[in-house]
Amino acid sequence: MSTTVAKQDVTKQDEGVDIAKRRASEGKRAEQKLGMLLCAPAVVVMLAVTAYPILYAIYLSFFKADLRTPDANEFVGLGNYITVLSSPIWWSAFGITMFITVVSTSLELALGMLLAIVMHRTIVGRGLVRTSALVPYAIVTVVAAFSWRFAWTQGIGWLAGDSAPLTEKWPSLWIIILAEVWKTVPFMALLLMAGLALVPEDLLKAASMDGATAWQRFWKITVPLIKPAILVAVLFRTLDAFRIFDNIYVLTSGANDTSSVSIVAYNNLIRGLNLGIGSTMAVLIFITIAIIAFLFIKLFGAAAPGQGRS
Amino acid sequence: MKASARRRCPKLAAWLVVGSLASATLAACGSGTASGGVPVVNLYGSASDADFDKILGPCNDAAEGRYKIVGNLIPSDADSQREQFVRRLAAEDEGMDILGMDVTWTAEFAEAGWIRELTGEKKEAATADVLQPPIDTATWEDKLYGIPRSTNVQLLWYRKSLVPEAPKTWDDVLAAAKKLKAEGKPYIIGITAAQYEGYVVGFNTILSSLGGTLVNEDSTKVTVDDKAVEALGILESLANDGLASKSLSNSQEPEVFAQMQNSEAAITINWPYVLSAMREANKDVAADLGVTRIPEFAPGTPSRATLGGMNYAISKYSTHPDLAFEAAMCLRNPESQLKGALSAAGNVPVIRSVYEEPAFVKAYPMKDDILAEMETAVPRPKTPLYQNISTIVSTTLSPPDSIDPEQTADELKEKIQQAIDGQGILP
Amino acid sequence: MSAQTETTGKKVGWTAVNILVLLYAFIPVVWIISLSVKGDDTLNDGNFLPRNPTSEAYTTIFNNADFLRALGNSIGICLISTFVALVLGTMAAYAIARLDFPGKTAIVAMSLLISMFPQIALVTPLFKIETAIGLFDTWPGLILPYITFALPLGIYTLSAFFREIPWELEKAAKMDGATPYQAFRKVIAPLAMPGVFTTAILVFIACWNDFLFAISLTSTNRARTVPAAMSYFTGATTFEKPTAAIAAAAVVITIPIVIFVLLFQRRIVAGLTSGAVKG
Repeated sequence: MSTTVAKQDVTKQDEGVDIAKRRASEGKRAEQKLGMLLCAPAVVVMLAVTAYPILYAIYLSFFKADLRTPDANEFVGLGNYITVLSSPIWWSAFGITMFITVVSTSLELALGMLLAIVMHRTIVGRGLVRTSALVPYAIVTVVAAFSWRFAWTQGIGWLAGDSAPLTEKWPSLWIIILAEVWKTVPFMALLLMAGLALVPEDLLKAASMDGATAWQRFWKITVPLIKPAILVAVLFRTLDAFRIFDNIYVLTSGANDTSSVSIVAYNNLIRGLNLGIGSTMAVLIFITIAIIAFLFIKLFGAAAPGQGRS
Repeated sequence: MKASARRRCPKLAAWLVVGSLASATLAACGSGTASGGVPVVNLYGSASDADFDKILGPCNDAAEGRYKIVGNLIPSDADSQREQFVRRLAAEDEGMDILGMDVTWTAEFAEAGWIRELTGEKKEAATADVLQPPIDTATWEDKLYGIPRSTNVQLLWYRKSLVPEAPKTWDDVLAAAKKLKAEGKPYIIGITAAQYEGYVVGFNTILSSLGGTLVNEDSTKVTVDDKAVEALGILESLANDGLASKSLSNSQEPEVFAQMQNSEAAITINWPYVLSAMREANKDVAADLGVTRIPEFAPGTPSRATLGGMNYAISKYSTHPDLAFEAAMCLRNPESQLKGALSAAGNVPVIRSVYEEPAFVKAYPMKDDILAEMETAVPRPKTPLYQNISTIVSTTLSPPDSIDPEQTADELKEKIQQAIDGQGILP
Repeated sequence: MSAQTETTGKKVGWTAVNILVLLYAFIPVVWIISLSVKGDDTLNDGNFLPRNPTSEAYTTIFNNADFLRALGNSIGICLISTFVALVLGTMAAYAIARLDFPGKTAIVAMSLLISMFPQIALVTPLFKIETAIGLFDTWPGLILPYITFALPLGIYTLSAFFREIPWELEKAAKMDGATPYQAFRKVIAPLAMPGVFTTAILVFIACWNDFLFAISLTSTNRARTVPAAMSYFTGATTFEKPTAAIAAAAVVITIPIVIFVLLFQRRIVAGLTSGAVKG
């Protein structure tokens, strides 16, 4: 007798579970549909604009191709890659680019963090400070670069005096880094400041009442909370820093071995009209950046978008 | 309010995109033919020269309604101009008719089949009464591919108060500078030796003056030999003997000009524009400026200056090449040439008769030096691979103070041969 | 009394720091302004401040119809690009941060890969496509690439912000009877404002200063934007750079951005709004 009753209960339970499961899967399907719908326009635009160019560039990297002789493309397999990767020109540019990227991004992160704190917390003239801090980022890069070149040219610039720093490799590199850092610290600061805006005041107040110093509050509360913002800022800044072009082009045109990989790619692709080699370099730059991005996301753990729910 | 706007946004955004696409397609129609169906001859190049409307206007009048010349703007530096031209010609763009071609592009564009050869009557008309060197710059493999329109050669500028006698040979220049340095006066010799095209121009001048070349006639073999070693030696000693500016390896035309303007340099090699520009920049120095032809690098043999300038070429994809040719011929007829020479742009003419015009003689006191250099001027290496070779030369020779004549010459030889064979990558 | 001196002390401290920031930002800018008012005779004299300032360069560029047209093009193209990129980016970022659907990781990876590919190699194929479909030298011809290259940064930034907003808020709103849209509008969107306005500023500046696409995908002043137009400025001869004109143009085109930023930065509010989140 008790078993029949128990059996009835179980069946009702089963039915209940089934209904719940059906509702959950319907809800899940609706969620999936909504997700895909929301992403669709962005995906369509991105693919429409870049699918053919990217695939075409990758395709060309396996050919000997010259823009002046479009009918004479010759399949060379990995020949272009071997040529580029065995050339000291490429590796020298690669080393320079890595150096500039690491140094400038580190400086920008440190200075950007400081600037973000000022922009976020200043109690006097907040609008003025925030807007002014962004002006370096707002100035057209080539004009800023040209003004730095002018400023550092012997005799006609206010910074050079009687020296000629742009004629030597290491002074030039530091001037290039100066131009880059001056220009993009605001970019970092802006992203970090928006991140700082998400840190709850109450947490910080509570911590300070518990006796934590500003330094401790910063490292133990603020930094962990703005990790996603730091990741976005540093990731995108690194990707851009690796592709540095304008500042070097204007300041030294790559003289004294200060070329970056983008300058070498530009010279081969646009000056030499060598589509095969140029595309190969573009693909190699792309692969390098992809590796950097991958390492970043791994290092910073689950701070990448779309992973896990908070 | 922002939140509610966000809900209407997708629709609004969609309309915006549709609207802009629609307006753009509407705007896209209606180029190529002027109102009333008069064919438009699109000129790319030289249209932004000072006072160009004084040349364009009369030529449009002379067209008598058969066509209309429209001057289109292009970027101001030669590399960007070439980039635009190449991209559009490779896409067979019909919207370009007359191209203002830098003299170094002739072989490249001709080999790629982007510009039309001028033969028969057209060839005769294009070269009538024209100085020979500019004609050479428009020729590739003995075929004429452009209408010479303006030319340019560098000159030796010096301060008359510091260098009383015009230097005749390169040794004279060095001696004068040494003497001035010992006397504590401005002594720098200014040349353009930054890593760019202007450096190749200078190197080409020295090399050609010594009788050397970089590639053979049909650009199949590199011809770097001991003359190149000698030329490199001259550059190296200039950089290392303390007679050149500290920023020699960063000097382009504006820097060399500034060195003269600021009384740092006593002797510079620069283009003819220095005279009119110095009058604006520093009247005292301008009044003290002397000019002569480039000094002899091989004593006894006149120097061979490198040619600059521009030719008008007719695009292969032009839909009315004959009209374009006629238009281009008008744009560079003797009247137009004189106007161009007298304007702020200072375009040195290619037509012999213009050099005798009184107004020209007055504005160009150095006209005889220019003509004398024209007798022996040389183009840069004529090869479809000129951009590659130029990049190789300027990078291999930079910076001037680290040149080792023998070694650098070997490097040049190897890299140029690689470029000709289609191997290797450009720095 | 001590509270007052504390506040005054803090104010002085912050003012000093502010001045440092202003110096950092403005010293090179003052140099650019100085270049724009230097005449031919003082351009090369190496002085930081101009001796004989002249407004010649400004008169030149404002008399230049092409420059004014380019300014109009820049404003229009950049506003539209920013707006559309924000809309598309917000939708996608919300989906990526809050919803679960197949292909999510692929979309994120793809958008990142797109932003990583060197644009120099994409210009010529893009030029070919645009000439083929008639978008060359038009506004959409520039708007579409700008949106495309702004989306990855937008999606990443915005999804980072959406992720930080706790689920409980949405659930609480839904339990209070709000529809998903209302939950989004009234609860989530305001909290994501810092991210939205930050992205807006960055996208606008990136579009405003872009040179590569502007110079490659336009040929007349129908669609040419200011950075490209500046490279068309000529000096008296090919060997003289129109330094003063370029500097003047740079100063002029920075002003709209300054206005844009001034308006938007106020929206990047400090902290979360009243009591939305506790602990």
